[in-house]
Amino acid sequence: MENLIDTVLNFFVFAFVGVMVWLYFKEIPENDGSERQSNEK
Amino acid sequence: MFRNPLLLIALALTAGVAVWGIFDTQGLAGFAAAQVKVAFRSRGWFVMLTASILLLTSLWLAFSRYGKIKLGREHEVPEFSTISWLTMMFAAGMGVGLLFYGSAEPISHFLFMQDYVGQEQAATEALLLTYFHWGLHAWAIYGFTALVLAYFGFRRDTPQMVSAPVISVFGRTRWTRTVGWLMDLLSIYAIAIGLAGSVAMGVFQVQDGIAILFNIENAGLELALGVFVVLCLAYLLPLTMDLSKGMATLSNAAIFLAVGLLIYVLLVGPTSFLMNNITEGIGMYFSKVIPQGFMTYSLYDETVRNRFSDWTLNYMVWWLAWAPFVGVFIARISRGRTIREFLMGVLLVPTVFSILWFGVFGGIGFFEGAAGNLDPTIVQTNINQTSFLLLDTLPLSFLTVSATIVAAFLFIVTSVVSAAFVLSMFSTGGNSNPSVRIKLIWGAILGALGLVMILSNSVEAVRQIIALSASPFVFIVLFLMVCLLKALKKEKV
Repeated sequence: MENLIDTVLNFFVFAFVGVMVWLYFKEIPENDGSERQSNEK
Repeated sequence: MFRNPLLLIALALTAGVAVWGIFDTQGLAGFAAAQVKVAFRSRGWFVMLTASILLLTSLWLAFSRYGKIKLGREHEVPEFSTISWLTMMFAAGMGVGLLFYGSAEPISHFLFMQDYVGQEQAATEALLLTYFHWGLHAWAIYGFTALVLAYFGFRRDTPQMVSAPVISVFGRTRWTRTVGWLMDLLSIYAIAIGLAGSVAMGVFQVQDGIAILFNIENAGLELALGVFVVLCLAYLLPLTMDLSKGMATLSNAAIFLAVGLLIYVLLVGPTSFLMNNITEGIGMYFSKVIPQGFMTYSLYDETVRNRFSDWTLNYMVWWLAWAPFVGVFIARISRGRTIREFLMGVLLVPTVFSILWFGVFGGIGFFEGAAGNLDPTIVQTNINQTSFLLLDTLPLSFLTVSATIVAAFLFIVTSVVSAAFVLSMFSTGGNSNPSVRIKLIWGAILGALGLVMILSNSVEAVRQIIALSASPFVFIVLFLMVCLLKALKKEKV
Protein backbone atom coordinates (compact mmCIF):
# COMPACT_ATOMS: atom_id res chain seq x y z
CA MET A 1 0.00 0.00 0.00
CA GLU A 2 2.85 2.34 0.95
CA ASN A 3 4.50 1.71 -2.41
CA LEU A 4 1.28 2.38 -4.28
CA ILE A 5 0.80 5.75 -2.56
CA ASP A 6 4.43 6.57 -3.24
CA THR A 7 4.03 5.73 -6.93
CA VAL A 8 0.79 7.69 -7.29
CA LEU A 9 2.21 10.77 -5.56
CA ASN A 10 5.33 10.70 -7.72
CA PHE A 11 3.38 9.98 -10.89
CA PHE A 12 1.50 13.20 -10.24
CA VAL A 13 4.81 15.05 -9.97
CA PHE A 14 6.10 13.56 -13.25
CA ALA A 15 2.84 14.46 -15.00
CA PHE A 16 3.06 18.00 -13.64
CA VAL A 17 6.66 18.40 -14.83
CA GLY A 18 5.62 17.06 -18.25
CA VAL A 19 2.80 19.61 -18.49
CA MET A 20 5.16 22.42 -17.48
CA VAL A 21 7.68 21.45 -20.18
CA TRP A 22 4.87 21.25 -22.73
CA LEU A 23 3.49 24.67 -21.70
CA TYR A 24 6.97 26.20 -21.93
CA PHE A 25 7.36 25.15 -25.56
CA LYS A 26 3.70 25.62 -26.55
CA GLU A 27 3.25 28.41 -29.08
CA ILE A 28 0.75 31.06 -27.96
CA PRO A 29 -0.90 32.98 -30.84
CA GLU A 30 0.26 36.62 -30.87
CA ASN A 31 -3.32 37.95 -31.25
CA ASP A 32 -4.06 36.83 -27.69
CA GLY A 33 -1.95 39.80 -26.62
CA SER A 34 -4.70 42.36 -26.21
CA GLU A 35 -6.68 39.97 -24.07
CA ARG A 36 -3.62 39.10 -22.02
CA GLN A 37 -2.85 42.73 -21.29
CA SER A 38 -6.36 43.41 -20.01
CA ASN A 39 -6.06 41.02 -17.13
CA GLU A 40 -8.23 42.86 -14.64
CA LYS A 41 -10.43 41.69 -11.88
CA MET B 1 -18.08 40.91 -0.45
CA PHE B 2 -20.76 38.23 -0.86
CA ARG B 3 -20.39 38.34 -4.65
CA ASN B 4 -16.76 37.26 -4.42
CA PRO B 5 -16.57 33.44 -4.33
CA LEU B 6 -12.79 33.43 -3.88
CA LEU B 7 -13.05 35.52 -0.72
CA LEU B 8 -15.92 33.45 0.67
CA ILE B 9 -14.29 30.09 -0.01
CA ALA B 10 -10.90 31.26 1.29
CA LEU B 11 -12.54 32.58 4.46
CA ALA B 12 -14.55 29.37 4.90
CA LEU B 13 -11.47 27.18 4.37
CA THR B 14 -9.21 29.02 6.79
CA ALA B 15 -12.00 29.53 9.34
CA GLY B 16 -12.78 25.78 9.06
CA VAL B 17 -9.18 24.90 9.94
CA ALA B 18 -9.29 27.38 12.83
CA VAL B 19 -12.52 25.88 14.22
CA TRP B 20 -11.18 22.33 13.81
CA GLY B 21 -8.00 23.32 15.60
CA ILE B 22 -9.75 25.09 18.47
CA PHE B 23 -12.08 22.15 19.19
CA ASP B 24 -9.64 19.33 18.44
CA THR B 25 -6.11 20.73 18.49
CA GLN B 26 -4.38 17.38 18.86
CA GLY B 27 -6.55 15.85 16.11
CA LEU B 28 -5.52 18.58 13.65
CA ALA B 29 -1.85 18.35 14.62
CA GLY B 30 -1.93 14.54 14.29
CA PHE B 31 -3.63 14.69 10.90
CA ALA B 32 -1.09 17.26 9.65
CA ALA B 33 1.85 15.19 10.92
CA ALA B 34 0.59 12.01 9.21
CA GLN B 35 -0.06 13.74 5.87
CA VAL B 36 3.24 15.60 5.93
CA LYS B 37 5.11 12.38 6.67
CA VAL B 38 3.65 10.69 3.57
CA ALA B 39 4.16 13.74 1.36
CA PHE B 40 7.75 14.33 2.46
CA ARG B 41 8.71 10.67 2.14
CA SER B 42 7.49 10.59 -1.45
CA ARG B 43 8.16 14.10 -2.64
CA GLY B 44 11.05 15.31 -0.52
CA TRP B 45 13.31 15.10 -3.56
CA PHE B 46 10.90 17.31 -5.51
CA VAL B 47 10.89 20.03 -2.83
CA MET B 48 14.71 20.09 -2.73
CA LEU B 49 15.01 20.00 -6.50
CA THR B 50 12.54 22.88 -6.81
CA ALA B 51 14.45 25.03 -4.29
CA SER B 52 17.74 24.32 -6.12
CA ILE B 53 16.20 24.99 -9.54
CA LEU B 54 14.85 28.32 -8.30
CA LEU B 55 18.29 29.29 -7.00
CA LEU B 56 20.15 28.24 -10.14
CA THR B 57 17.58 29.89 -12.43
CA SER B 58 17.80 33.09 -10.37
CA LEU B 59 21.59 33.15 -10.70
CA TRP B 60 21.36 32.44 -14.43
CA LEU B 61 18.80 35.23 -14.93
CA ALA B 62 20.88 37.71 -12.95
CA PHE B 63 23.94 37.16 -15.13
CA SER B 64 22.14 36.65 -18.44
CA ARG B 65 21.14 39.38 -20.90
CA TYR B 66 17.74 39.43 -19.17
CA GLY B 67 19.45 40.89 -16.10
CA LYS B 68 19.33 44.31 -17.78
CA ILE B 69 15.53 44.32 -17.95
CA LYS B 70 13.97 46.89 -15.64
CA LEU B 71 11.07 45.98 -13.37
CA GLY B 72 9.00 48.92 -14.55
CA ARG B 73 9.15 51.45 -17.36
CA GLU B 74 12.59 52.17 -18.83
CA HIS B 75 12.81 55.68 -17.33
CA GLU B 76 11.68 54.66 -13.82
CA VAL B 77 14.05 54.94 -10.88
CA PRO B 78 13.79 52.93 -7.62
CA GLU B 79 11.29 54.34 -5.14
CA PHE B 80 13.37 53.46 -2.03
CA SER B 81 17.07 53.91 -1.30
CA THR B 82 19.05 50.67 -1.50
CA ILE B 83 19.55 50.55 2.30
CA SER B 84 15.81 51.02 3.02
CA TRP B 85 14.96 48.48 0.34
CA LEU B 86 17.24 45.84 1.85
CA THR B 87 16.10 46.54 5.43
CA MET B 88 12.41 46.29 4.62
CA MET B 89 12.95 43.15 2.57
CA PHE B 90 14.82 41.43 5.35
CA ALA B 91 12.28 42.40 8.03
CA ALA B 92 9.45 41.01 5.91
CA GLY B 93 11.18 37.76 5.06
CA MET B 94 12.65 36.57 8.32
CA GLY B 95 11.19 38.47 11.24
CA VAL B 96 10.56 36.67 14.44
CA GLY B 97 12.10 33.38 13.28
CA LEU B 98 15.58 34.87 13.58
CA LEU B 99 15.04 35.74 17.24
CA PHE B 100 13.46 32.37 17.92
CA TYR B 101 16.02 30.14 16.22
CA GLY B 102 19.17 32.30 16.47
CA SER B 103 20.85 30.06 19.03
CA ALA B 104 18.35 27.23 19.31
CA GLU B 105 18.73 25.86 15.80
CA PRO B 106 22.54 25.52 15.65
CA ILE B 107 22.55 23.98 19.16
CA SER B 108 19.80 21.55 18.20
CA HIS B 109 21.71 20.39 15.09
CA PHE B 110 24.89 20.17 17.15
CA LEU B 111 23.29 17.86 19.74
CA PHE B 112 22.02 15.62 16.98
CA MET B 113 25.20 15.53 14.90
CA GLN B 114 27.73 15.02 17.70
CA ASP B 115 26.70 11.35 17.89
CA TYR B 116 27.55 10.92 14.22
CA VAL B 117 30.64 13.05 13.53
CA GLY B 118 32.17 14.10 16.86
CA GLN B 119 31.92 17.45 18.65
CA GLU B 120 34.23 19.68 16.58
CA GLN B 121 32.85 18.57 13.24
CA ALA B 122 29.30 18.70 14.63
CA ALA B 123 29.59 22.40 15.52
CA THR B 124 30.74 23.30 12.00
CA GLU B 125 28.15 21.09 10.32
CA ALA B 126 25.41 22.48 12.59
CA LEU B 127 26.21 26.02 11.51
CA LEU B 128 26.42 24.97 7.86
CA LEU B 129 22.98 23.38 8.00
CA THR B 130 21.51 26.43 9.73
CA TYR B 131 23.03 28.75 7.10
CA PHE B 132 21.60 26.47 4.44
CA HIS B 133 18.08 26.70 5.90
CA TRP B 134 18.17 30.52 6.13
CA GLY B 135 20.38 31.34 3.16
CA LEU B 136 20.35 31.43 -0.62
CA HIS B 137 17.68 28.74 -1.13
CA ALA B 138 15.19 30.48 1.18
CA TRP B 139 15.76 33.80 -0.55
CA ALA B 140 15.63 32.22 -4.01
CA ILE B 141 12.10 30.98 -3.16
CA TYR B 142 11.08 34.47 -1.98
CA GLY B 143 13.02 36.31 -4.64
CA PHE B 144 11.78 34.31 -7.59
CA THR B 145 8.14 34.64 -6.53
CA ALA B 146 8.65 38.37 -6.02
CA LEU B 147 10.43 38.68 -9.37
CA VAL B 148 7.53 37.07 -11.25
CA LEU B 149 4.97 39.30 -9.53
CA ALA B 150 7.09 42.42 -10.06
CA TYR B 151 7.84 41.64 -13.71
CA PHE B 152 4.21 41.06 -14.66
CA GLY B 153 2.88 43.79 -12.38
CA PHE B 154 5.23 46.54 -13.48
CA ARG B 155 5.96 45.62 -17.11
CA ARG B 156 2.62 44.14 -18.10
CA ASP B 157 0.37 46.04 -15.69
CA THR B 158 -1.27 42.93 -14.29
CA PRO B 159 -2.84 42.97 -10.81
CA GLN B 160 -0.59 41.76 -7.97
CA MET B 161 -2.16 38.31 -7.87
CA VAL B 162 -0.47 34.92 -8.05
CA SER B 163 -2.80 33.99 -10.93
CA ALA B 164 -1.99 37.10 -12.98
CA PRO B 165 1.18 35.77 -14.72
CA VAL B 166 -0.69 32.65 -15.91
CA ILE B 167 -3.51 34.67 -17.46
CA SER B 168 -1.06 37.20 -18.88
CA VAL B 169 1.03 34.54 -20.65
CA PHE B 170 -1.58 32.00 -21.70
CA GLY B 171 -4.54 34.32 -22.23
CA ARG B 172 -7.89 34.44 -20.48
CA THR B 173 -9.32 31.02 -21.19
CA ARG B 174 -11.41 28.63 -19.11
CA TRP B 175 -8.41 26.58 -17.99
CA THR B 176 -6.26 29.58 -17.06
CA ARG B 177 -9.12 31.12 -15.09
CA THR B 178 -9.74 27.84 -13.25
CA VAL B 179 -6.07 27.14 -12.55
CA GLY B 180 -5.46 30.79 -11.66
CA TRP B 181 -8.39 30.81 -9.25
CA LEU B 182 -7.07 27.68 -7.56
CA MET B 183 -3.59 29.22 -7.32
CA ASP B 184 -5.00 32.32 -5.64
CA LEU B 185 -7.01 30.20 -3.20
CA LEU B 186 -4.03 28.01 -2.26
CA SER B 187 -1.81 31.07 -1.87
CA ILE B 188 -4.29 32.72 0.48
CA TYR B 189 -4.53 29.52 2.49
CA ALA B 190 -0.74 29.04 2.65
CA ILE B 191 -0.17 32.66 3.74
CA ALA B 192 -2.84 32.49 6.46
CA ILE B 193 -1.53 29.26 7.97
CA GLY B 194 2.14 30.19 7.58
CA LEU B 195 1.62 33.55 9.24
CA ALA B 196 -0.39 32.04 12.08
CA GLY B 197 2.51 29.69 12.78
CA SER B 198 4.87 32.62 13.10
CA VAL B 199 2.41 34.37 15.42
CA ALA B 200 2.38 31.30 17.66
CA MET B 201 6.18 31.04 17.68
CA GLY B 202 6.46 34.74 18.47
CA VAL B 203 3.94 34.43 21.31
CA PHE B 204 5.78 31.39 22.73
CA GLN B 205 8.99 33.37 22.71
CA VAL B 206 7.53 36.54 24.23
CA GLN B 207 5.85 34.38 26.89
CA ASP B 208 9.11 32.73 27.92
CA GLY B 209 10.98 36.03 27.77
CA ILE B 210 8.50 37.61 30.18
CA ALA B 211 8.69 34.55 32.42
CA ILE B 212 12.49 34.81 32.61
CA LEU B 213 12.46 38.60 33.00
CA PHE B 214 10.03 38.55 35.94
CA ASN B 215 11.00 35.15 37.39
CA ILE B 216 7.58 33.64 36.77
CA GLU B 217 7.66 29.97 37.65
CA ASN B 218 5.68 27.53 35.48
CA ALA B 219 4.61 30.11 32.89
CA GLY B 220 2.08 28.02 31.02
CA LEU B 221 -0.65 28.51 28.52
CA GLU B 222 -2.28 31.29 30.56
CA LEU B 223 0.65 33.64 30.03
CA ALA B 224 0.81 32.73 26.31
CA LEU B 225 -2.89 33.53 25.97
CA GLY B 226 -2.38 36.81 27.84
CA VAL B 227 0.41 37.78 25.39
CA PHE B 228 -1.85 36.74 22.53
CA VAL B 229 -4.70 39.01 23.71
CA VAL B 230 -2.33 42.00 23.95
CA LEU B 231 -1.01 41.17 20.48
CA CYS B 232 -4.54 41.08 19.01
CA LEU B 233 -5.32 44.47 20.54
CA ALA B 234 -2.04 45.83 19.17
CA TYR B 235 -2.70 44.82 15.58
CA LEU B 236 -6.43 45.55 15.36
CA LEU B 237 -5.99 49.34 15.45
CA PRO B 238 -3.45 49.55 12.59
CA LEU B 239 -5.81 47.45 10.45
CA THR B 240 -8.48 50.14 10.62
CA MET B 241 -6.30 52.88 9.15
CA ASP B 242 -3.68 53.42 6.49
CA LEU B 243 -0.49 53.07 8.44
CA SER B 244 1.85 51.92 5.70
CA LYS B 245 4.49 54.45 6.78
CA GLY B 246 3.95 53.69 10.47
CA MET B 247 4.32 49.99 9.76
CA ALA B 248 7.61 50.62 7.94
CA THR B 249 8.82 52.54 11.00
CA LEU B 250 7.83 49.71 13.37
CA SER B 251 9.47 47.17 11.09
CA ASN B 252 12.65 49.24 10.94
CA ALA B 253 12.58 49.59 14.74
CA ALA B 254 12.42 45.79 15.09
CA ILE B 255 15.36 45.36 12.71
CA PHE B 256 17.25 48.12 14.53
CA LEU B 257 16.78 46.28 17.85
CA ALA B 258 17.82 42.97 16.24
CA VAL B 259 20.97 44.51 14.73
CA GLY B 260 21.71 46.19 18.07
CA LEU B 261 21.50 42.79 19.80
CA LEU B 262 23.76 41.24 17.17
CA ILE B 263 26.43 43.91 17.60
CA TYR B 264 26.13 43.81 21.41
CA VAL B 265 26.55 40.03 21.60
CA LEU B 266 29.45 40.14 19.12
CA LEU B 267 31.30 42.83 21.09
CA VAL B 268 30.49 41.77 24.66
CA GLY B 269 30.71 38.03 23.94
CA PRO B 270 33.85 36.13 22.89
CA THR B 271 34.51 38.31 19.83
CA SER B 272 37.46 36.49 18.28
CA PHE B 273 35.79 33.09 18.79
CA LEU B 274 32.64 34.34 17.08
CA MET B 275 34.55 35.95 14.20
CA ASN B 276 36.48 32.71 13.68
CA ASN B 277 33.18 30.88 13.57
CA ILE B 278 31.70 33.29 11.06
CA THR B 279 34.76 33.23 8.79
CA GLU B 280 34.83 29.45 8.80
CA GLY B 281 31.09 29.36 8.23
CA ILE B 282 31.25 31.65 5.20
CA GLY B 283 33.85 29.43 3.56
CA MET B 284 31.99 26.24 4.37
CA TYR B 285 28.67 27.62 3.21
CA PHE B 286 29.75 29.00 -0.14
CA SER B 287 31.79 25.88 -0.95
CA LYS B 288 28.95 23.48 -0.13
CA VAL B 289 25.72 25.37 -0.71
CA ILE B 290 24.92 24.00 -4.18
CA PRO B 291 25.56 20.27 -3.41
CA GLN B 292 23.73 20.67 -0.07
CA GLY B 293 20.67 21.79 -2.00
CA PHE B 294 20.51 18.39 -3.69
CA MET B 295 20.99 16.31 -0.52
CA THR B 296 18.06 14.04 0.37
CA TYR B 297 19.85 11.65 2.81
CA SER B 298 18.19 8.64 1.18
CA LEU B 299 21.05 6.27 2.13
CA TYR B 300 21.19 7.36 5.77
CA ASP B 301 19.33 5.69 8.65
CA GLU B 302 15.74 6.54 9.47
CA THR B 303 16.67 8.93 12.31
CA VAL B 304 18.66 11.09 9.90
CA ARG B 305 15.92 10.92 7.27
CA ASN B 306 13.31 11.98 9.82
CA ARG B 307 15.54 14.80 10.95
CA PHE B 308 15.90 15.92 7.30
CA SER B 309 12.09 15.97 6.97
CA ASP B 310 11.51 17.71 10.27
CA TRP B 311 14.00 20.48 9.61
CA THR B 312 15.21 20.94 6.02
CA LEU B 313 12.02 20.01 4.18
CA ASN B 314 9.93 21.80 6.75
CA TYR B 315 11.94 24.98 6.25
CA MET B 316 11.72 24.81 2.48
CA VAL B 317 7.93 24.49 2.52
CA TRP B 318 7.73 27.17 5.19
CA TRP B 319 9.53 29.59 2.86
CA LEU B 320 7.15 28.45 0.14
CA ALA B 321 4.19 29.22 2.44
CA TRP B 322 5.47 32.73 2.99
CA ALA B 323 6.56 33.25 -0.63
CA PRO B 324 3.32 34.82 -1.95
CA PHE B 325 3.09 37.17 1.04
CA VAL B 326 6.74 38.20 1.12
CA GLY B 327 6.83 38.10 -2.70
CA VAL B 328 4.07 40.69 -3.03
CA PHE B 329 5.77 42.90 -0.47
CA ILE B 330 9.24 42.65 -2.05
CA ALA B 331 7.73 43.24 -5.50
CA ARG B 332 5.98 46.41 -4.29
CA ILE B 333 9.19 47.94 -2.93
CA SER B 334 11.36 46.93 -5.91
CA ARG B 335 9.81 48.89 -8.76
CA GLY B 336 12.42 50.57 -10.94
CA ARG B 337 15.25 48.09 -10.26
CA THR B 338 16.77 45.84 -12.92
CA ILE B 339 16.37 42.06 -12.70
CA ARG B 340 20.12 41.73 -11.98
CA GLU B 341 20.09 44.35 -9.23
CA PHE B 342 16.92 42.83 -7.79
CA LEU B 343 18.17 39.25 -7.68
CA MET B 344 21.62 40.12 -6.38
CA GLY B 345 20.09 42.25 -3.61
CA VAL B 346 17.47 39.67 -2.66
CA LEU B 347 19.83 36.70 -2.72
CA LEU B 348 23.11 37.96 -1.34
CA VAL B 349 22.46 40.61 1.30
CA PRO B 350 19.92 38.73 3.47
CA THR B 351 22.05 35.57 3.16
CA VAL B 352 25.13 37.37 4.43
CA PHE B 353 23.10 38.85 7.29
CA SER B 354 21.75 35.40 8.19
CA ILE B 355 25.31 34.03 8.26
CA LEU B 356 26.34 36.83 10.60
CA TRP B 357 23.28 36.36 12.79
CA PHE B 358 23.54 32.60 13.21
CA GLY B 359 27.33 32.77 13.36
CA VAL B 360 27.08 35.09 16.37
CA PHE B 361 24.08 33.55 18.17
CA GLY B 362 24.95 29.96 17.28
CA GLY B 363 28.60 30.59 18.09
CA ILE B 364 27.86 32.01 21.52
CA GLY B 365 25.55 29.07 22.15
CA PHE B 366 28.43 26.65 21.50
CA PHE B 367 30.82 28.79 23.54
CA GLU B 368 28.61 29.10 26.63
CA GLY B 369 27.63 25.43 26.32
CA ALA B 370 31.29 24.37 26.31
CA ALA B 371 32.00 26.72 29.23
CA GLY B 372 29.21 25.09 31.24
CA ASN B 373 27.15 28.31 31.45
CA LEU B 374 24.31 26.92 29.36
CA ASP B 375 22.76 23.48 29.29
CA PRO B 376 22.47 22.74 25.54
CA THR B 377 19.64 20.27 26.14
CA ILE B 378 17.38 23.27 26.81
CA VAL B 379 16.59 23.14 23.05
CA GLN B 380 15.01 19.74 23.68
CA THR B 381 13.10 20.69 26.83
CA ASN B 382 12.11 24.32 26.15
CA ILE B 383 13.40 25.66 22.85
CA ASN B 384 11.62 29.02 23.34
CA GLN B 385 13.89 29.91 26.27
CA THR B 386 17.24 29.30 24.52
CA SER B 387 17.92 32.88 23.36
CA PHE B 388 16.95 34.35 26.71
CA LEU B 389 19.07 31.96 28.76
CA LEU B 390 22.04 32.81 26.55
CA LEU B 391 21.49 36.55 26.90
CA ASP B 392 21.31 35.92 30.64
CA THR B 393 24.96 34.80 30.57
CA LEU B 394 26.02 38.27 29.33
CA PRO B 395 25.99 41.63 31.19
CA LEU B 396 22.87 43.87 31.10
CA SER B 397 20.68 40.86 30.48
CA PHE B 398 17.55 42.69 31.70
CA LEU B 399 17.98 45.17 28.82
CA THR B 400 18.86 42.62 26.15
CA VAL B 401 16.04 40.24 27.12
CA SER B 402 13.61 43.19 27.12
CA ALA B 403 14.88 44.29 23.70
CA THR B 404 14.36 40.75 22.36
CA ILE B 405 10.79 40.66 23.70
CA VAL B 406 9.99 44.08 22.18
CA ALA B 407 11.58 43.14 18.82
CA ALA B 408 9.64 39.83 18.71
CA PHE B 409 6.41 41.65 19.51
CA LEU B 410 7.05 44.30 16.81
CA PHE B 411 7.91 41.64 14.23
CA ILE B 412 4.63 39.82 14.91
CA VAL B 413 2.47 42.97 14.82
CA THR B 414 3.98 44.18 11.54
CA SER B 415 3.74 40.70 10.01
CA VAL B 416 0.06 40.30 10.91
CA VAL B 417 -0.88 43.77 9.67
CA SER B 418 1.00 43.25 6.38
CA ALA B 419 -0.40 39.73 5.93
CA ALA B 420 -3.99 40.89 6.57
CA PHE B 421 -3.44 43.53 3.88
CA VAL B 422 -2.01 41.06 1.34
CA LEU B 423 -4.75 38.50 2.06
CA SER B 424 -7.41 41.20 1.59
CA MET B 425 -5.77 42.24 -1.67
CA PHE B 426 -5.56 38.66 -2.99
CA SER B 427 -9.11 37.81 -1.98
CA THR B 428 -10.57 40.90 -3.70
CA GLY B 429 -9.03 40.33 -7.12
CA GLY B 430 -5.86 42.36 -6.54
CA ASN B 431 -7.55 45.48 -5.14
CA SER B 432 -4.64 47.54 -3.79
CA ASN B 433 -6.96 49.43 -1.42
CA PRO B 434 -9.11 46.76 0.27
CA SER B 435 -11.85 47.83 2.68
CA VAL B 436 -11.28 48.05 6.42
CA ARG B 437 -14.01 45.44 6.97
CA ILE B 438 -12.19 42.81 4.88
CA LYS B 439 -8.87 43.60 6.54
CA LEU B 440 -10.48 43.21 9.96
CA ILE B 441 -12.05 39.88 8.95
CA TRP B 442 -8.64 38.61 7.85
CA GLY B 443 -7.10 40.01 11.03
CA ALA B 444 -9.64 38.03 13.07
CA ILE B 445 -9.05 34.84 11.06
CA LEU B 446 -5.27 35.18 11.46
CA GLY B 447 -5.85 35.66 15.19
CA ALA B 448 -8.05 32.54 15.37
CA LEU B 449 -5.48 30.49 13.44
CA GLY B 450 -2.72 31.84 15.68
CA LEU B 451 -4.80 30.78 18.69
CA VAL B 452 -5.05 27.24 17.27
CA MET B 453 -1.28 27.07 16.95
CA ILE B 454 -0.83 28.40 20.49
CA LEU B 455 -3.33 25.86 21.87
CA SER B 456 -1.31 23.08 20.23
CA ASN B 457 1.42 24.28 22.65
CA SER B 458 4.08 22.67 20.48
CA VAL B 459 6.44 24.22 17.96
CA GLU B 460 6.65 20.84 16.21
CA ALA B 461 2.87 20.71 15.71
CA VAL B 462 2.93 24.27 14.39
CA ARG B 463 5.58 23.34 11.84
CA GLN B 464 3.63 20.28 10.65
CA ILE B 465 0.43 22.27 10.14
CA ILE B 466 2.33 24.88 8.13
CA ALA B 467 4.07 22.21 6.04
CA LEU B 468 0.78 20.57 5.13
CA SER B 469 -0.78 23.85 4.04
CA ALA B 470 2.24 25.02 2.07
CA SER B 471 2.96 21.81 0.15
CA PRO B 472 0.90 22.73 -2.96
CA PHE B 473 2.85 25.95 -3.39
CA VAL B 474 5.82 23.99 -4.68
CA PHE B 475 3.79 23.36 -7.85
CA ILE B 476 2.57 26.95 -8.04
CA VAL B 477 6.04 28.47 -7.85
CA LEU B 478 7.27 26.21 -10.67
CA PHE B 479 4.31 27.21 -12.81
CA LEU B 480 5.15 30.87 -12.14
CA MET B 481 8.72 30.15 -13.25
CA VAL B 482 7.49 28.75 -16.56
CA CYS B 483 5.33 31.86 -17.05
CA LEU B 484 8.29 34.19 -16.45
CA LEU B 485 10.71 32.29 -18.68
CA LYS B 486 8.12 32.16 -21.43
CA ALA B 487 7.46 35.90 -21.15
CA LEU B 488 11.18 36.72 -21.14
CA LYS B 489 11.64 34.87 -24.44
CA LYS B 490 9.64 37.69 -26.06
CA GLU B 491 11.69 40.50 -24.52
CA LYS B 492 13.95 42.30 -26.98
CA VAL B 493 17.23 42.62 -25.09
